[in-house]
Amino acid sequence: MTVTDSKTIDLEVSPLGRVEGDLDLRVKINDGVVTEAWTEALMFRGFEIILRGKDPQAGLIMTPRICGICGGSHLYKACFAIDTAWKTVLPPNAITVRNIAQACETLQSIPRWFYALFAIDLVNKKYAKAKDYDEAMRRFAPFVGESYEPGVVLGAKPVEVYAIFGGQWPHSSFMIPGGVMCAPTLTDITRSIAILDYWRQEWLENRFLGCSIERYRQVQTWEQLLEWCDENESQHKSDLAFFIRYAMGIGLDKYGGGYGNYLAMGTFFEPSQYATPTADGRNRALITRAGVYSDGTDLPFDHMRVTEDVTHSYFRGTGSLHPWEGVTEPIDPADGRAQDKYTWAKAPRYDVPGQGFVPLEVGPFARQMVAGNPEREVWQDYDPLIRDIYSKIGPSIFLRVLARLHEAPKYYEMTRRWIDQIDLHDRFYIKPVERESGKGFGATEAARGALADWIVLEDNKIANYQVITPTAWNIGPKDGKGANGPMEESFIGAPVEDLHDPIELGHVARSFDSCIVCTVHAYDGKTGEEMARFKVNGMM
Amino acid sequence: MATLLWLQAGACSGNTISLLQAEEPTVIDLLTDFGVELLWHPSLGPELGEAVHKILDDLVSGAKPLDIFVVEGTVVQGPNGSGRMDMFAGRPMTEWITDLTSVASIVVGVGDCAAYGGLPTVAPNPSESTGLQFHREVKGGYLGKDWVSKAGLPVINIPGCPAHPDWISQIVMAVATGRAGDLTLDEYHRPSTLFTTFTHNGCTRNGFFEYKQSTTEFGQGTRTGCLFYELGCRGPMTHSSCNRILWNRQSSKTRAGHPCLGCTEPQFPFDDLMPGTIFKTQKVSGVIPRDLPTGADHLTYLAAAAAARISAPQWSKEDMFVV
Repeated sequence: MTVTDSKTIDLEVSPLGRVEGDLDLRVKINDGVVTEAWTEALMFRGFEIILRGKDPQAGLIMTPRICGICGGSHLYKACFAIDTAWKTVLPPNAITVRNIAQACETLQSIPRWFYALFAIDLVNKKYAKAKDYDEAMRRFAPFVGESYEPGVVLGAKPVEVYAIFGGQWPHSSFMIPGGVMCAPTLTDITRSIAILDYWRQEWLENRFLGCSIERYRQVQTWEQLLEWCDENESQHKSDLAFFIRYAMGIGLDKYGGGYGNYLAMGTFFEPSQYATPTADGRNRALITRAGVYSDGTDLPFDHMRVTEDVTHSYFRGTGSLHPWEGVTEPIDPADGRAQDKYTWAKAPRYDVPGQGFVPLEVGPFARQMVAGNPEREVWQDYDPLIRDIYSKIGPSIFLRVLARLHEAPKYYEMTRRWIDQIDLHDRFYIKPVERESGKGFGATEAARGALADWIVLEDNKIANYQVITPTAWNIGPKDGKGANGPMEESFIGAPVEDLHDPIELGHVARSFDSCIVCTVHAYDGKTGEEMARFKVNGMM
Repeated sequence: MATLLWLQAGACSGNTISLLQAEEPTVIDLLTDFGVELLWHPSLGPELGEAVHKILDDLVSGAKPLDIFVVEGTVVQGPNGSGRMDMFAGRPMTEWITDLTSVASIVVGVGDCAAYGGLPTVAPNPSESTGLQFHREVKGGYLGKDWVSKAGLPVINIPGCPAHPDWISQIVMAVATGRAGDLTLDEYHRPSTLFTTFTHNGCTRNGFFEYKQSTTEFGQGTRTGCLFYELGCRGPMTHSSCNRILWNRQSSKTRAGHPCLGCTEPQFPFDDLMPGTIFKTQKVSGVIPRDLPTGADHLTYLAAAAAARISAPQWSKEDMFVV
């Protein structure tokens, strides 16, 4: 902690993230409110460098292992990147099975993220006097909370279905250019249905919603959602209704909203529309859509408008390049610091017509904002709820979390429907021509946001491979123009009540799902010596 | 009560996430019912900040005993040996590993990265990564080949990318319940009880393997045949219990038509993912698999294969895993 003038305090939070490498946070606090923030990613393994010169399919094995939490999502987009580069033809079953697998990974992630990573902060001592604190403790206390254990343990169920099709979860590579490796049998289908149904009853309906999926899915507006919460005792007592009451009660709807500008790359394809995958035909074939929502305007997503800026990242140069031209040349952080660089994350930016290269938030919040755009094809998801709430109460931690939770019943319905669409007697794979050169683009929505690969093939090997993760979009640093990354921006305006326990910063970071634990160091501004170490989460 | 500390170095979290799928015991039962006192884990530990620093300091100073130290992730030594490519709580993670391994009774490397360095070590190894006590198949790694823990044991490796949840939970339980003495380790420091059988053992395609009947393509092609001959499966040369205990209680790679990648072996990824090596069996003289089932040689393999093909029954040439 450094006091730079009478009111301003510099606070360093280290480490702040533990999901894709470590994350540290520095914030400037003025009159008890954050006025500036820097996010610092602390770990580098260099997968993009390793992939150069390797087999065109190396990304199928390598990229799922970038992140053990959304490995299935990495596989999904890595495979479509090669599909587009090799110009494969995909049978309907292949697309359907890929959709099911991707959705099952996201379904397991929703309760695990909510209970194990986010909700345990709701019982922080800061809220000891809040209404319903005891009830929050009873539900959300780590390990022993009545909702914590089933949420975490039952999360294993949806990925059992992943294993039926992909052999195992995490870290399968069963999606391959031209289709999938498996050829399921009748009992694979019936078993998958039974497993999903068990999870629906035990967690999704009985504990989380307190009603049927069908009833919940009728909710389309903020008013209807509030009405739904108190419609009957079972809904009132559900984890979702309790979260809404409690989070509003402790003010999580008041800060952490960030720019309010969003990017979704979309995921899940309508099989009849994407038999020959191309980057250009992608938007139209999607079921949950791609799009940009910036300054109140809906725009189509175009991957050619994506660049990565390394001005403040530990990589050589200061430029901003499209990923097909992207370079990854690491430098020693000690040298980088001298050049005003402070993180291993690059800063992805999107060229919004008329606005220039801007930072955009990705994730479930972004997806559901884009889902509210009424213009769509008949097979595409339209869902007005989150956009309606955004228009009425604005972006915040609360709404970011609600958007994530809202996807559980929605993706369950889709997954269940796709299982019925598998034609066991049709093909699951069409052997592709292995083209020696080409460019590919593959993307998806991991549970935590837009995830994409850009691949360049030359002479039957990878000439360039660039991955942009949702964590990079959200926790990436400032760019050459000094614009904050989306998470940095979201910290601004956050109140910090207790410098020794800035739980508010933890809420913001964890609402993006890029943070598990926080440690706070405070430094004496004059001597640079550490004065004390504080815990962000003080409930245990 | 055995104390356990779990840290992540250059990790993807895959082994932690894998462990969440465990049943008998579940990860929560493991920590609340079976004599393991979890001092801290980056994803699960509710104690944070000051409490974590105090735990680490007390362990390093010896004020509190550290019975089991679990490391997940590769040891990142770059750039130029400084370790600054992986910082943790203000220091290079390498320094924490040095301090904590010197006070731990038993050190467990979970997953391929901690055990052998894993994928980040593939050329050009831009992060200068290595395993705790091996660099791929070469003994040494970060701690050195002669290193032993306070209990006199080398690093116990539970490889796999990721490790199966049961491998982690059963070995942790074994150590926590005082049965470390029953563990025999193989040449790559894997517990023999888990890593003596092959992935091949229990594979539903063994009948096809026996008669040298190949799966010729993925998808519907995997309704018959063995993945070893054309599609690069390493099941007969890879030590694991994947097909004895299955994954996610449901299946395994090979059962689902997915060639085994050999991820419990220190050489993983084989051939460093070089062009032409992925999902394709590498051959000599155009026809004979370069890597043969453990213990076989090319000459006797050829003779056995010829006999097997001649004796192949009709069912082995038809679909077996039918709708």
